[in-house]
Amino acid sequence: MTGPEGVTGGPLALEGTCPSCGAPVGARDSFCESCGTELSPPKVSTEPPGYEAQCPVCSLDPQAAPSVITPDGYCESCGRRAPTGRDHSELDLGLLAGVTDRGLRHTRNEDAMGLATVDTTGGPVAIAVVCDGVSTSPRPDEASLAATQASVRALVTAVRRGEDPVDASLAGVQSAHRALAMIGSPGAAPSATYISAVIGRDAVTVCWLGDSRAYWLSTGPDVIRLSTDDSLAEELVARGQMNEMQALASPQAHVITRWLGADLPELEPHLIRFEPPRPGVVLVCSDGLWNYRPDAESLAELALPAAFADPLGTAAELVKFAIDAGGMDNITVVLVPFPLAPFPEEPPHPKTVPVRRLAPLSRRSSA
Amino acid sequence: MTESGFTVDVDQNQYLPEGGREVSAIVTVASAADATGFAGSGSAGTEPEGSAEIIIIDCSGSMEYPHTKIAEARAATAAAVDVVRDGVLFAVIAGTNQAWPVFPADGSMARADASSRAAAKQAVAGLRAGGGTAIGQWLELARATFARYPAKLRHAILLTDGKNQHETPDQLAAAVHQCEGFFSCDCRGVGTDWEVGELRTISTGLLGSVDIVPDPSGLAADFAALMRSAMGKQVADVALRVWTPQHATVKYVKQVAPTVDDLTGRRTTSGPQSGDYPTGAWGPGESRDYHVGVEVSPAGIGQEMLAARVSLVAQSPSGTDVLGQGLVRAIWTDDEALSTKINQRVAHYTGQAELAAAIQDGLEARKQGDEETATAKLGRAVALAHQSGNEDTAKLLAKVVDVVDVETGTVRLKKQVEDADEMALDTRSIKTVRARK
Repeated sequence: MTGPEGVTGGPLALEGTCPSCGAPVGARDSFCESCGTELSPPKVSTEPPGYEAQCPVCSLDPQAAPSVITPDGYCESCGRRAPTGRDHSELDLGLLAGVTDRGLRHTRNEDAMGLATVDTTGGPVAIAVVCDGVSTSPRPDEASLAATQASVRALVTAVRRGEDPVDASLAGVQSAHRALAMIGSPGAAPSATYISAVIGRDAVTVCWLGDSRAYWLSTGPDVIRLSTDDSLAEELVARGQMNEMQALASPQAHVITRWLGADLPELEPHLIRFEPPRPGVVLVCSDGLWNYRPDAESLAELALPAAFADPLGTAAELVKFAIDAGGMDNITVVLVPFPLAPFPEEPPHPKTVPVRRLAPLSRRSSA
Repeated sequence: MTESGFTVDVDQNQYLPEGGREVSAIVTVASAADATGFAGSGSAGTEPEGSAEIIIIDCSGSMEYPHTKIAEARAATAAAVDVVRDGVLFAVIAGTNQAWPVFPADGSMARADASSRAAAKQAVAGLRAGGGTAIGQWLELARATFARYPAKLRHAILLTDGKNQHETPDQLAAAVHQCEGFFSCDCRGVGTDWEVGELRTISTGLLGSVDIVPDPSGLAADFAALMRSAMGKQVADVALRVWTPQHATVKYVKQVAPTVDDLTGRRTTSGPQSGDYPTGAWGPGESRDYHVGVEVSPAGIGQEMLAARVSLVAQSPSGTDVLGQGLVRAIWTDDEALSTKINQRVAHYTGQAELAAAIQDGLEARKQGDEETATAKLGRAVALAHQSGNEDTAKLLAKVVDVVDVETGTVRLKKQVEDADEMALDTRSIKTVRARK
């Protein structure tokens, strides 16, 4: 068993040269001083540039002529819907990694994720955003991607500027909200759930609306779910009318009560700050994973200790677990080992703050 | 509306159970009400000079009995001539057991203006009845006359009062087939001595309407209305192009509103995986519904397939114009709540098509003396008309049967039925009630 001692945060940006112009760059530079290229841009689960869709059936038949995919995304020969570049995506930034997958029962991946790392004077900061398109809204796949792109970009900008993680998180969710307001109207509002996690030296700051979740996983007793769902199921549990398993089995389990979209009357995100008492792993995921293992303890069993050393491989394993369990929904898993960088010689401050007692810092939008 | 002036909408349940093969959808095609936007479709739009009209009038001996028939037919033809727009090519043909040009007498066509309209009416006034009936010959002369002039829109109105006695059904079918896709034809039967089935063969093949005008005095107004409608048509030869994936079959393509018209057999191949189904000419502000059924080879749960791409196409000098497009999808699911959901409009039009078939089968059985089948079929028709709110058809049915219980479709055949009522029910059985989304 590999302990947390084995954790090594990947180097952020080596002292080296700009990948675009070759000029020398500093380890803490965000942009190349010479040509202005962004040195560690955020990565989002978009269709990769130059992605060429292929028919999943005809491309496997050596006898068949090369398949033509029409602009509406179908094979001109057999009619099968061609996978988009978003059906399966893996992002690895070293300090954190994520995998998103269409699953087995949905025809496209309406989840999106965005990852980034920023070097600050206080050390590295990892940023993760996961959005799950609301399938009853129009163009949910566009919604999740637009929200993710806007948010991760705003978070990176705010953190680079030295803003507090709480302010940065609010800037992120507001930016995502504006992005969805722009692509929709109250009558036709592409919508998505939203969750962001900003992981710094001492704390994890989580901001969300809807039922995508963040967990704190560790090998100690402090394993916990960091977010609460904006869902009817969670409300039923909170009111003591059902236990969690009953609520999840009920037809309203996935009816969410808050989301991002142009039909949102007022932006009221949840926001918490959590100070990890020991090394562990932050898991940010969509309901495609937690449907099959809602409790933090079970997820910790699945993810640890592998996630400490191999966040990408472990994220892929968790996605595979959800697919093997039925793959009913799109699945997105992001794993961030904590601390981001190896601890200095001194052990971490032994501060344990039960997250349940941490009131949300802000429920109100400053927009 | 799109730039082309047409919209194509698809309504369906796209979810299939595991192993499901049958995909069906209602495709609604609508043209813009605004005629100017419509003409903006460019090459597909038609000026008066691009239209040609022929009126075909029955001059068989029976048109003299009663004498008012031929008189009203002359008046109706004159009324239709009055409505022909300036610049449109037109002609009048008379038919008995042969056919001959009435105006222009040399078998040509004339450009409509005040003097040509007056000359045509004078020629029509001289028409006398006498001789037999060979409708195939009339259609053949109309085709030859049209063929002498280039035109985008060719349309005819055909009037008869009797059976096609001087030709075999095969001869008529062959003549209709020759004219298919070349001109469209609205058919009218005056009196009650003609065969509904014969005229329906012509109107179906030539993408026109068919109706009964029981009283000759109603002819003039009807002809004028038909000609006005023909003058409103602006886009000719519009077709539904249906693309299907490999290993899929188009089971049927039917127009289901405003009338039932099965186009399945009218397919012409337009590509390795596509076929065209004619819809005829379109005027502004029209809306028609089509029921498309496709059988596909099933894919796995969670897979999506394009079961059909339905495009509205028109030919123009620059090639094929795509005026609109809709997608019929198939998604396989193990969620029974999704796959068993019945699309209301698909169900409605399935019922309307069954209604039309029940009426036609019931009347045929009644003619053959098979009262049991007639009672069962017409009873089913009464129930279907009631359920779908097709009141016009329900009223026509009530003239042929006594309704005992409308819910279960329990009926008794009336002993005495007016021929005109029976023929009206037969010809109008294909009219459907529109299902709104």
